[in-house]
Amino acid sequence: METFVIGLSIASILFMVALGLAIIYGTMNVINLAHGEMVMIGAYTTVLATKHLGLNIYLCLPLAFLVTATFGLIIERTVVRRLYGRLLDTLLATWGIALILQQLIRIHFGLGLFGIEIDGLGSDLQNVPVPAELQQAIQLFGANIPVYRAFVFVTALALGAITWLVMYKTRFGSQLRAVSVARNTAAACGINDKRVNMLAFAYGSGLAGIAGVLVSGFKTVSPDMGTPYVVDAFLVVVAGGVGHLLGTFASAGILGEVQSFVATWANDVYGRTVLFAVVIFILLFKPQGLFVTKSR
Amino acid sequence: MTYRTASIIAYIVFFAVVLALPLVLNSFWTNRVAIYLVYSICAIGISMSWGYAGILSLGQGLFFGMGAYMLAMSLTLAVPENNPVPQLMLLNMEPNAVRDLCCVTTGSFLWIPFRSIAVGMIAGIVVPCVLAAGIGYVMFKRRTTGVYVSIITLAFALIGQLLIINNQPLTGGFNGLADLALLEIGGFEFDPYGPSAYYAVALTLIAVILLARYMLTGRIGQVLKAIREDEARARYLGYDVENYKLFIFCVSAGVAGLAGMLFTLTSEFATPSLMATSLSISMVIWAATGGRASLLGACIGALIVNFVGSLASESATFQPVWPIILGLLFVVVVLFMPNGIAGIFKAFIDRPGKAERLGGAKLAGKTERSDKAELLVKSELSAREA
Repeated sequence: METFVIGLSIASILFMVALGLAIIYGTMNVINLAHGEMVMIGAYTTVLATKHLGLNIYLCLPLAFLVTATFGLIIERTVVRRLYGRLLDTLLATWGIALILQQLIRIHFGLGLFGIEIDGLGSDLQNVPVPAELQQAIQLFGANIPVYRAFVFVTALALGAITWLVMYKTRFGSQLRAVSVARNTAAACGINDKRVNMLAFAYGSGLAGIAGVLVSGFKTVSPDMGTPYVVDAFLVVVAGGVGHLLGTFASAGILGEVQSFVATWANDVYGRTVLFAVVIFILLFKPQGLFVTKSR
Repeated sequence: MTYRTASIIAYIVFFAVVLALPLVLNSFWTNRVAIYLVYSICAIGISMSWGYAGILSLGQGLFFGMGAYMLAMSLTLAVPENNPVPQLMLLNMEPNAVRDLCCVTTGSFLWIPFRSIAVGMIAGIVVPCVLAAGIGYVMFKRRTTGVYVSIITLAFALIGQLLIINNQPLTGGFNGLADLALLEIGGFEFDPYGPSAYYAVALTLIAVILLARYMLTGRIGQVLKAIREDEARARYLGYDVENYKLFIFCVSAGVAGLAGMLFTLTSEFATPSLMATSLSISMVIWAATGGRASLLGACIGALIVNFVGSLASESATFQPVWPIILGLLFVVVVLFMPNGIAGIFKAFIDRPGKAERLGGAKLAGKTERSDKAELLVKSELSAREA
């Protein structure tokens, strides 16, 4: 049961990171390797906000969303915008952006070169204080369940629900879906597809930022923390079926649990190994992913 | 001067410079440059599979690391203290295990063939090739293409790295294999800081370039380019697309394995960090900077990026900024010079002004307008080819 709950929280984080990636990849056909850095920036936003502004972790959620969405917007406007239709090139360019962002944190946004250091940045590991009510554990079916893990899970569910509402119940959502199915037709019908791209990129980045806030509560924060997330999340996206909300949800769940159970049974390394092996098998035998979007 | 003559001259100049360098370098720099040349060989491997066949492997580090480990295992056993059993296994064995390579730790019998240096050297190429054949066979037979190939190879590299770190008693774990013997073939010792190891690397590099160029300018290269441009059409024309892809993927893995062995020779260690994602992606960037579809370009790209990188990491002011410059380089190369340094070189040789002069003399009878049209078509074609 404990293993299951740990699996759920791994899955929740994966889901939040992967959701943003799925929107970006599904809509724009861009592989954003700087997505992991959005998680990292979300985590650092939390570190800085708790240290300097005295905010608690709940208030950091919307703040990190705004900060990372802004970063996403800037990246889309400056680099990604010029690379639509060149899939592998987006992968390389965003890896470059990821390097830049990591290093900017390490050198205090360049101020470190002039001897100015901001508490909370730099290459050191950082920790985020978690409010007392989240540090407790509750008893459920005879198992100890840390409240924080439950909080992560609930937030992920809420974000999933919000994203579903945005995608299927708003004007922006229907435009987004139209663009991802048939960009040119959508543009010909009067949808401003450039604007849709921009907002989708920002929204996806923002989701990763929220995941970053939640990660910062149970892991140490460091400049290179994002890289493993982007790889895992990308595996989740392709395994679940690109452009499929439910697919991402299901595959995050499956992969999170697989990792958690194998990790408890053997060790962490085998957990990840089996995770990769499962994804490779899914890709080889169902290249479209577990859930296939019907297209005409 | 045509592009062909110019590129032949470029090759000759490059080879001459590479061969002459140890004459002017001290032993430290001889070693550094030898390592950069090793990276150049990696970049050639990338250029072969990505530049020619459009297969972007992000797991090239796996093959590189395998090659490095194979030779490092042999060189570990060549150290007298490591017989009959390497120190790293003694540190990790069960208290009452038999002190023999067959069973001192789980799987340690795998080391037995590596008592022979020759086996280590052959395995350094064969093992990456066989591994690539296995991965490639499953991928290409399932007709996995494009970005999925990149992700699958990336995942394989991550698995490889994790398994090596995790099996400490067998592989030395996170610290890898260090304190190696020097490579000795027929009584001749390769000194990593002397010209011997340097020339081993340099001559291998030249041989790899020439063989790759011979192979890729021929029929195979043309078919691979056709596959890169339009896989379905190449298949429709009767080419066995899967086998061609499998072939170049294996060759490229073998080249990476070879580079890995030379890395062990020049750096005297092998660690799991050789299989890291960041190194695999760096290799792609070296090739992209130099020109992904140009063997020499990829080579020079690797040399320049690594040389500037090591200069920067020695200066206190530049060291913290270097990753940012590197990141910007990724972005700038991808955005503004998709054909890299080789593309700029080509554009310089074929620059329109000169062509117009030449063209004007040759095609005196034609009107200026048709000249321009022809030039447009030409540049369009060459742009497409690139």
